[in-house]
Amino acid sequence: MPLSHELENRIRAEFPKYPEKRAVLLTALHFVQEEQGGWVAPDCILAIAGLLEIDPIDVKEVVSFYHMFHDHAVGQSHLQVCTNLSCSMRGARGLVRGLEEILGVRPGEMTPGGEFSVEEVQCLGSCGSAPVVQVNNEPFLENVALADLKSLVAGLQTRRRAAVGE
Amino acid sequence: MTEANGSTAKNPKVRVVIDGREIEATAGAPLLEAALDNGIEIPHYCYHPKLSIDGSCRMCQVQIQGQKKLAIACNTPCTEGLVVDTRSDEVADARRGVMELLLVNHPLDCPICDQAGECYLQDYSFEHGSHHARTTAPRRKGLKRVPIGPRVVFDQERCILCRRCVRFTNEISETNELRVFGIGDTSYIGTLEGRPLDNPYSVNVADVCPVGALLSSDFHHKRRVWFLEETESVCPGCSNGCNIKIGAFREEIQRLVPRRNDAVNETWMCDAGRLGYGFVGAADRIREARVCDDQGQQVVALDAAITAAAAALRRVREEHGAGAIGIVASGHLTNEEYFRLAGLARETLTTVSVDLAVPLGEGDDFLIRADKAANARGAREMGLVPGEAGRDLAGILNAVEAGEIRLLWIIGSKDFEAVVGTERALAIAGRLETLILQDVQPSGLSDKATIQLPGATWAEKAGTFTNYVGRVQRIRPAVHSPEGVLLDGEIFAALTGALSGRAAVPFVPSSVFDEIAAAVGAYAGLAHQSLGGAGTNPADVTEGVG
Repeated sequence: MPLSHELENRIRAEFPKYPEKRAVLLTALHFVQEEQGGWVAPDCILAIAGLLEIDPIDVKEVVSFYHMFHDHAVGQSHLQVCTNLSCSMRGARGLVRGLEEILGVRPGEMTPGGEFSVEEVQCLGSCGSAPVVQVNNEPFLENVALADLKSLVAGLQTRRRAAVGE
Repeated sequence: MTEANGSTAKNPKVRVVIDGREIEATAGAPLLEAALDNGIEIPHYCYHPKLSIDGSCRMCQVQIQGQKKLAIACNTPCTEGLVVDTRSDEVADARRGVMELLLVNHPLDCPICDQAGECYLQDYSFEHGSHHARTTAPRRKGLKRVPIGPRVVFDQERCILCRRCVRFTNEISETNELRVFGIGDTSYIGTLEGRPLDNPYSVNVADVCPVGALLSSDFHHKRRVWFLEETESVCPGCSNGCNIKIGAFREEIQRLVPRRNDAVNETWMCDAGRLGYGFVGAADRIREARVCDDQGQQVVALDAAITAAAAALRRVREEHGAGAIGIVASGHLTNEEYFRLAGLARETLTTVSVDLAVPLGEGDDFLIRADKAANARGAREMGLVPGEAGRDLAGILNAVEAGEIRLLWIIGSKDFEAVVGTERALAIAGRLETLILQDVQPSGLSDKATIQLPGATWAEKAGTFTNYVGRVQRIRPAVHSPEGVLLDGEIFAALTGALSGRAAVPFVPSSVFDEIAAAVGAYAGLAHQSLGGAGTNPADVTEGVG
């Protein structure tokens, strides 16, 4: 049973708000990702498709299209570096390489403990403050310089340790 | 849709000027379609005449008078007075730009690509592209040569994301196996885990793919396409009569591909038909004539076997009458052959126990018909039906079992076996004095034949097939028959000669067709020469004349 009854009911409760069940897809994906460890597993894709009465391949297409959804597990701190035009021109590729060096993972991978993951993403919508990095759904980190990365990672580690009470 | 010229017709005609040439087009039809239908070539990748408009490739951009920006011809509806320029410098620049971007990540592995020689990327690069690359960046890596389904191979690096394959599985096969996943420059074509591209029409995606990204597994790395000799023909797999091209190399069929005929198969064919040609060159194909003597079956020259068959037919007829002869044919011969066979049965042998054995399989409401023979309708129209007071297949079987029919001549015993069932077919064979088989493929009955005549395949013949709705279509020889094998029509001609004591009339399909047109009511008014590449439905001709 990939989705709990509560989760299914939460999705069903959205149906009356839209003319068609399929319109609930983005909302459903957000709910599932929130409650299922930050990513949408293949059996969740099938379950959502069943609830919304659409082809599972349409769900997978949407999950793969938006960088906000993940079809694989990501770290507790998921670092997204925009590598579109403006950010690339302002040093985003260097930021990706810098994070690779500091964390020892490549884009799409996760650190062994599952603490961090890095991903190159499409335009985040803040070209005026390029290059931009976003951690999970938190506010953008703007005009990020290579020199900022170490303190960024260290800050995230400190915050995490505080959160788990170490 | 706007109504031009105050016309009230559903699809009013409009005048469009392309490169100074005025053409007539259907209002609202895509400009690209109107141009292509009038022989004006506008390069394109994503547009396909039988799929919805996508507009993703941008290759068909043209200049439209009165518009500042270039427009894509595939998504521009024809309207009255549209003036189009496909040759301006701006258009040429746009095409060069599209080509450059498409080739930035293309692997350029043409030397090992099956599509080379019939690749739109190659052709348009030559015609519209730039002759050198400005990029030195490494090319994107992707999946190479992976099966995306049981009959299709996928090369991700070559894909230009035109989405023709995705639209095919959405709109034509309606099986939804393919999608574009991802976003932007990391997009790729893929399937859902556990749901490969596997439907009865899957290999059509290799035809619609304008590049070498989706390929037929059967044809993969088999032959360079420019070495293929292509012959226009008709698929023999069922009674739908899909138009095809047979691609052969040195007397060997390499592949079948669909040929456009909007009245029959549009631009598609099913996988079973496409991959069903193996029997033509099969190792176990019947290539030798055999006649049974005291020691069993002996290989003999074909003319000796024909003489033996004529002698057997004559003897049984003289000793037991024409009622002791039964003929069961498959549905795979040409109209011209059936016409000769019917003449032989009715006039020379005067037997009335003549019927067909046509196996039934799966059918659908698209191109696949349940009766798995190309020309059963033609056979019946040529007279391969029980004569007055004659026996049909069931009657023939019963008469053999009752000892009334002593000689059975089966043309296509594999189909006979499939229809009758192996057990009963063998029992039938055991009851006979003489069993004549005329076969391409071996069957459970092959060992039991008193006389075995090797037959020829459709790929070796000229003639016509009549599809299930009555459309008469030409087939043409793509390969020669094996040494020592005659066409079935030539065997009928030789037997007719031997049995009637007159010189055999040479079997010339085009002349036989003219005889058919004169003799068979439904074919009146047809002429071999005017059937053309797309065939003719006699019903349409009659309507047109009437």
